[in-house]
Amino acid sequence: MTTMTDAPASTEVRRGRLRLSGVRKVLGGKEVVSAVDLETEPGEFLTLLGPSGCGKTTTLNMIAGHLAADGGLIEVDGRDITTVPPHRRSMGMVFQSYALFPHLTIADNVAFGLRMRKVGAAERRRRVADMLELVGLDGMAGRHPRQLSGGQQQRAALARALVIQPDLLLLDEPFSNLDAQLRVRLRDEVAALQRRIGTTAILVTHDQEEALAVSDRIAVMAGGVIHQLDRPQEIYLRPATDFVAQFIGEVNALDGTALGGGACEIAGRTVAATPAGEPPAKGAAVRVYVRPEVVRVGHDGDGLRGTVRETRFLGSRIRCVVATPAGEVTAALPYDAAVPQEGEEVTCTWRPSDASLAARA
Amino acid sequence: MAAVGRLAGGARLSRPRWRTGLLLALPAIVIFAALFVAPLFTLVANSFRTQTGAFTLGNYARFLGDPFYRDVLWNTLKVAALTTAGCLLVGYPFALYMRARSPRVRNRLALLLLSPLLISMVIRAYGWLVVLGPNGPVASAFQALGLTPPQLLYNDTAVLIGMVHVMLAYMVLPLMGSLDRIDPTLVPAAKGLGASGWTCFWRITLPLSAPGMLAGAMIVFSLTASSFVTPAILGGPKVKLMPYFVYTQATTTLDWPYAAAIGFVLVVVTTGLLLGYSRLLRRGNGEVVFG
Repeated sequence: MTTMTDAPASTEVRRGRLRLSGVRKVLGGKEVVSAVDLETEPGEFLTLLGPSGCGKTTTLNMIAGHLAADGGLIEVDGRDITTVPPHRRSMGMVFQSYALFPHLTIADNVAFGLRMRKVGAAERRRRVADMLELVGLDGMAGRHPRQLSGGQQQRAALARALVIQPDLLLLDEPFSNLDAQLRVRLRDEVAALQRRIGTTAILVTHDQEEALAVSDRIAVMAGGVIHQLDRPQEIYLRPATDFVAQFIGEVNALDGTALGGGACEIAGRTVAATPAGEPPAKGAAVRVYVRPEVVRVGHDGDGLRGTVRETRFLGSRIRCVVATPAGEVTAALPYDAAVPQEGEEVTCTWRPSDASLAARA
Repeated sequence: MAAVGRLAGGARLSRPRWRTGLLLALPAIVIFAALFVAPLFTLVANSFRTQTGAFTLGNYARFLGDPFYRDVLWNTLKVAALTTAGCLLVGYPFALYMRARSPRVRNRLALLLLSPLLISMVIRAYGWLVVLGPNGPVASAFQALGLTPPQLLYNDTAVLIGMVHVMLAYMVLPLMGSLDRIDPTLVPAAKGLGASGWTCFWRITLPLSAPGMLAGAMIVFSLTASSFVTPAILGGPKVKLMPYFVYTQATTTLDWPYAAAIGFVLVVVTTGLLLGYSRLLRRGNGEVVFG
């Protein structure tokens, strides 16, 4: 994961640094986006992840210019574009519905943005052909959108967005209309293509697996604010808020009392985790978030003691539920782990760096 | 899965469905056949007869050989075409406005649009006589500005105004249907690619609303070409249109075969133009509106 982030194989000049500062949007009397701040690195793949109504699509539409921000600043490469109309921004947007022009051929769809930019016919043809080849649609140039499959249509939409060499590639739930297998294939293709071309990409999705798989960083949104903006493994292992912990994957949320630093006392035992933000003061009510994958079940070490209630073989993992005084702890053990017996007394442990600790509201 | 298999194996299910469908359509088919197709055949047969019943091509020869009647045909098509163009020019912006409003406002606007159809054609036409007449508000307005009021009654302009008023709904409603079918993300997509609002309209909205425009144009054109009451009242004796001559030949001259021939010429010419439209559309957009 880290290597992919650190070594994008692009030779192009890196641009496309997006910065949002205090961006707000009120729709129908309700503040749907409240003071959103974020900044991308050029060439970064950043995902806005959250449930429907969290403000992620509104934020994307403000970046694209389809919605006017009610406050704050939107900048690209230091240029303030907050009030620039969409057709004067340089954004390549891919929509959930593909939004291909049904009366134009695939080639004309892809050429549309170049035509608007008054690119000459010869260069236009060359760039369209190159782009169609890049997305694997060579030979489809003369077809109309309705003659293409969903996956092909989304590739065409991607080609249309990328051919204008935009500052940013904006992806609005682009894979939601595709069936599961195709969704995974296309999202990996898009991620690979984005890294090759080096265009900064902003993806909006409610699919956490998709976000984890393709993003350099993820901004988890809820209620119009960003709860956490971090690398996927950080988001997954060390969620900053209860919402992030619950929204992504499965989590053990254990309540305890802070002992200072990353240490805390849960049901009479001392455990450790990584504080999200400032370490809570000693004696404060805290909650520890531990993913099932990082829990080890054994007989040694400092951890939560409990009784194995059930174990279940799930193929890729063995699911083990341990009843502890702090509540049930679920562990997802590797298939070759020593599987404890039901009713056995065990200790649940984890590496402090693999769990997070936050103040309890 | 089993249920799907039975459905997919369709022969047993599809036949009763087909029969039910026919049964549902039957009243309409009967009415259409008895009241339109059969009389049309009678009309065509009559148009090839003399007053005494012998076969003749004379009625058509008389129509096509007479410059006066050719002029009437031309004028009829002209008025129909201008009415269609008028409805399109007034109706398109209205349809765009309607589309951008909430469903509640849209329903009210649609009612407004249909309101001329709720009033008797004769009363509505006499209303226009008052409005456009020498003592009407239009003439007064011109006089108040120190201008000579133009002749607004008993000419093509009067017929055009009256017809656009009635026909507007027939243009706007199909147009709305067509505009509604346009994916609302297409315009933002085009804007994102660098198209201004105006370019979006010309390159996206207008071409994609062509099916609605053409459907509306067909309805307005054919209804106008065959309309009688409004042109008769607002156009007076000077505006000579085909339906008026069908009427006078049938009721005054009592030359039914000739009236039939005039009527059939109108049917053939209008149908021919509509088929032409339809073909144009199919070639342009790959979609079929009518036929």
